Amino acid sequence: MPNNDYTPFEQMAIFLARELKDGDVLRVGVAMPVAEAAVRLAHLTHGPNMELVFLGARMNVAHLDTIPMPAFGWDRRVVRWAESYSDTGHRFDRIKDWDRHVFFIGGVQVDPFGNTNLIGVGSDYNRLRFRGPGSVGTPTLSTHVGRYYIVLNSHTARLLVEKCDFISAYGWGTGGTDAREKLGIPGGGPRYCVTPMCIFEFPEPHKRMQLRSVHAGITAQEVQANTGFALTLPASVPATEPPTPEELHALRTRVDRDGVLRRQA
Amino acid sequence: MSERQQRIIDEVTAASWVQDGMTVAVGSPAPMALLRQIIRRGVKNLTVVDSGITLDLLIAAGCVRKAVSYYAGGGFGVPVAPAFRRAVERNEIEVWECEEGILTSGLQAAAQALPFLPWRGGVGTSLPEVNKALKVMQDPIRGETLLAVPPIKPDVALLHAATADAYGNVQHCGGPGWLDLFLYRAADRTIVQVEKIIPNEEIRANPWATTIAGADAIVRGPYGAHPFYSRGYYVQDNAHLRRYLQASTAAAQENRPELLAQYLTTYCREPATLGDYLERVGIKRLLELYEY
Repeated sequence: MPNNDYTPFEQMAIFLARELKDGDVLRVGVAMPVAEAAVRLAHLTHGPNMELVFLGARMNVAHLDTIPMPAFGWDRRVVRWAESYSDTGHRFDRIKDWDRHVFFIGGVQVDPFGNTNLIGVGSDYNRLRFRGPGSVGTPTLSTHVGRYYIVLNSHTARLLVEKCDFISAYGWGTGGTDAREKLGIPGGGPRYCVTPMCIFEFPEPHKRMQLRSVHAGITAQEVQANTGFALTLPASVPATEPPTPEELHALRTRVDRDGVLRRQA
Repeated sequence: MSERQQRIIDEVTAASWVQDGMTVAVGSPAPMALLRQIIRRGVKNLTVVDSGITLDLLIAAGCVRKAVSYYAGGGFGVPVAPAFRRAVERNEIEVWECEEGILTSGLQAAAQALPFLPWRGGVGTSLPEVNKALKVMQDPIRGETLLAVPPIKPDVALLHAATADAYGNVQHCGGPGWLDLFLYRAADRTIVQVEKIIPNEEIRANPWATTIAGADAIVRGPYGAHPFYSRGYYVQDNAHLRRYLQASTAAAQENRPELLAQYLTTYCREPATLGDYLERVGIKRLLELYEY
């Protein structure tokens, strides 16, 4: 196992779990194992008033000893934990109250201003080199939630690009603190971009991605080599705060009991 | 006076309502008995309002010209539905690019006979560039920038539900598939296949539970959502869906179409009825899924 005793995915999940505040409403879509683990861990360790929303199944299960990860994101059995369920068409019924809502987004491309692309890759929309799955609900979620996190399962120069071929979720546009306000986009925008190598932040006033910290065993130069846009590298980049033994123990025994985050690295 | 007209038809007749070139909306739980009949009839050039694996299957079977889709993931670690991906990359089908809120706004506009409904999610994105039907507009009340979403109006909506009577009163189990209600409201005609047909008296004993008041046709469809789940009756047959995805992946990415051709023949084209299909799946497998 690389990075001493934990994997990059475990680091990502624990970093995100610390970010989440009691009272947050946490919306997790499909194929996001890191986010699925992070919200469970936060709920069990410091979020008795969090609400977890998995594809419309809304739950508070902080009383449980364990909240295992489902093998399959669409598995309707997560409903066994739910207090209510909203299917497609009703997940967006109370957008006005989304200040406390937090969500997690991936993409086939991400640019330095946190714009993300789930449509596809290629210069011509009618001749895509790679067709993505489609926008799901990310345009609306990214527009309205209080804050969101870009969470990537890999860190490559093909994924982190200077300009997305298509934008399906608007982050900070072409940059600037007022980039969202100018378009009347109310939500708080992307807060961090979390990858297996590092954490990026979006500092004011330009809101262009900047290295916040690197995970154990990774150098800033390695991050730059795997990133498709130029980073301004300070003389020394802080290390991402490593998991504590207690956090790792809770993650492995109460959430990721099957080792999903230990296998994928 | 003549009697009130009953609306129960068989699945073959129901599928004949779907003609080449129509716009067809597919609900969730998946109306698989109807979809297999459409594939069996070899219907072509459909515009489908659909997502996920059912969309992939209809594309793989050659039924689709255009997909109104907000999400075409495969699940099971397959990020993009394989037949969808191949068909779009080869420009064999067109996509009406949208997202969840834009889709439901378009369906609601159709249902309420409006020229458009506004939606904010998608402002600043490429959606209005790649889907010219979406118009960027300034709202006349506060002057905000929004997208105008035109009506999405299916000719036929195909749905699966728990029960219905002979007159098209449908009751879902444990809460409806809510997108289905948007599809029903927007569509010219709605066909609902159900686990069980129940007497009109039972509907009238609990009218508050009626979710669709006036489906145009009801089709007997016990186990008719297999390999997908039917709320309150059975769970999803994940092993079957994995086999389909492997076949679709082999055809789309490895140039090995045999498994997919075999799947379509065995499960969609040869079985003449839902009963024939369920015999192929096997009673033992079906009983294993009978829990919820």
